[in-house]
Amino acid sequence: MAINPQARATRAPRSPARSPARSPALEHRPDAHAFRLLVNAVVDYAIYLISPDGRVQSWNRGAERIKGYRAAEIIGKPISAFYTPEDAAAGRPEHNLRAAEERGHFTEQAWRVRKDGTRFWADIVLTPLRDEQGTLTGFAKVTRDLTERRASEDRERQLAVEHEARAAAEEALRSRERFLSIASHELRTPVASLQLAIDALLIRQERGTLDTQRLDELLHRMERATERMTRLLGELLDVSRLNEGDRSLQVERIELAELVGDVADRFAEVGRPGRIVTRLEPVAIDVDASRIDQVVSNLIDNALKYSSDAETVDVRLHKADDGAVIEVFDAGRGIEMDGVDPFEPFGRGANVTDTQGLGLGLFIARQIVHRHGGTITATNREAGAGARFRVFLPEQPPSQSAA
Amino acid sequence: MRGRRILVVDDDATLRETLAEILTEDGFEVRGARDGREALDQLETWPADLVVLDLMMPVMDADAFNAAQQRAGRRTPILIVSAAPHLSEAADRIGAVGIVSKPFRIHELREKVIRGLGVQPPNGTLESRASN
Repeated sequence: MAINPQARATRAPRSPARSPARSPALEHRPDAHAFRLLVNAVVDYAIYLISPDGRVQSWNRGAERIKGYRAAEIIGKPISAFYTPEDAAAGRPEHNLRAAEERGHFTEQAWRVRKDGTRFWADIVLTPLRDEQGTLTGFAKVTRDLTERRASEDRERQLAVEHEARAAAEEALRSRERFLSIASHELRTPVASLQLAIDALLIRQERGTLDTQRLDELLHRMERATERMTRLLGELLDVSRLNEGDRSLQVERIELAELVGDVADRFAEVGRPGRIVTRLEPVAIDVDASRIDQVVSNLIDNALKYSSDAETVDVRLHKADDGAVIEVFDAGRGIEMDGVDPFEPFGRGANVTDTQGLGLGLFIARQIVHRHGGTITATNREAGAGARFRVFLPEQPPSQSAA
Repeated sequence: MRGRRILVVDDDATLRETLAEILTEDGFEVRGARDGREALDQLETWPADLVVLDLMMPVMDADAFNAAQQRAGRRTPILIVSAAPHLSEAADRIGAVGIVSKPFRIHELREKVIRGLGVQPPNGTLESRASN
């Protein structure tokens, strides 16, 4: 149990002091005995000496407590007894000693084995000891048992992970409730118009005041209300498809310039000739073509909606580092960002006073872009010069399993 | 009572126009406004007896409108007509005389307009049918 009197730890070390065995107390022979008693009394740390060939040379109370061996049982035995069979087979005991010898010092945190075979999480410091000529005389070894601390750190980490997951789930729920609440408001609005127009028809029919012009007018209002409902339901369906299709991007290698060009042409066919101006650089990229088609459509549709017919909408595509950038510029009124995120569901800007937009197009675009591992941003060009939407798509979407 | 003034404030043009027409035919004097801002401007020169007010409007919403009209020393009774949830909370908040949830049938709205004005129906017709 006492420090082995043969231990030659009293020599001044060459490498920087680290182990208690190198305390200045050792420099004075009269104190060496007291120092051995001190080391022996330490119970929180296993402190012992190892011979150059890796055998235990001394033992203290901490070593007995942590490792379970009594001094008589272990002194003279190789230190591989403290290692797990895997580590011992892999030559770790020898490796660690040589590493300490070469670097003047070795530390690690690793599993070690007690006498009864149980494992503990050890924090070890191994320091080579040399005599005045620099010859290796052995090693000082200090071991702490960090099993408890490691377990509590694991518990904390686990708690943090759970907490984060719960917060994310709650936020998802809140955002879903918000979405449903606004969606229901948006749906009720055209239904109210439709219902009211029907009531107006009934009143006039009852009073006998329903002339052709009024009938025509009311029917048109009803038509507009149902068109609006149909569009809104279509977009809601897109959103729900997007949510259920989480893991199902149909990724293929395509020429993005062709896809963007096709979408622009589709809009150009129905609008003023020359209103959409494209500048497209060839970029081959892995995407879900039908989804990216929807992104480009929604951006162009948005740009057309919020600028006047006389103004052009610029659609650009260029190659970027590891991907492609699609930009859609308009010369319209821009986005009044005043606390409104245009990519949030129904997040229309404060300057959108009409209700021609349903407020889901940009939200859908963002969902799709994010699913591809890309980014989408909206900025205003210089004052009053319109809005600019920029989409970055990586050359390949993140792996489907990680999505 | 004929000639009572009603201001219909709603950003949905279809609803606003249809409602204005029906109430006009009922014998009220009716004007429309697209949002709270326009409504305040109207009330300056055309004091109404009742404001039929949507809650969620782009430029000035119902709360902002109510605060502004009180600052202007005006207390026109408000009837909330909205598709938003929690209408009674909003009604308490701005001291509305009634609430109508969208979508609604005209007889329900008419009833609440009349109650809000504290008058008898001018030419109501649909009420009788609705109660059958």
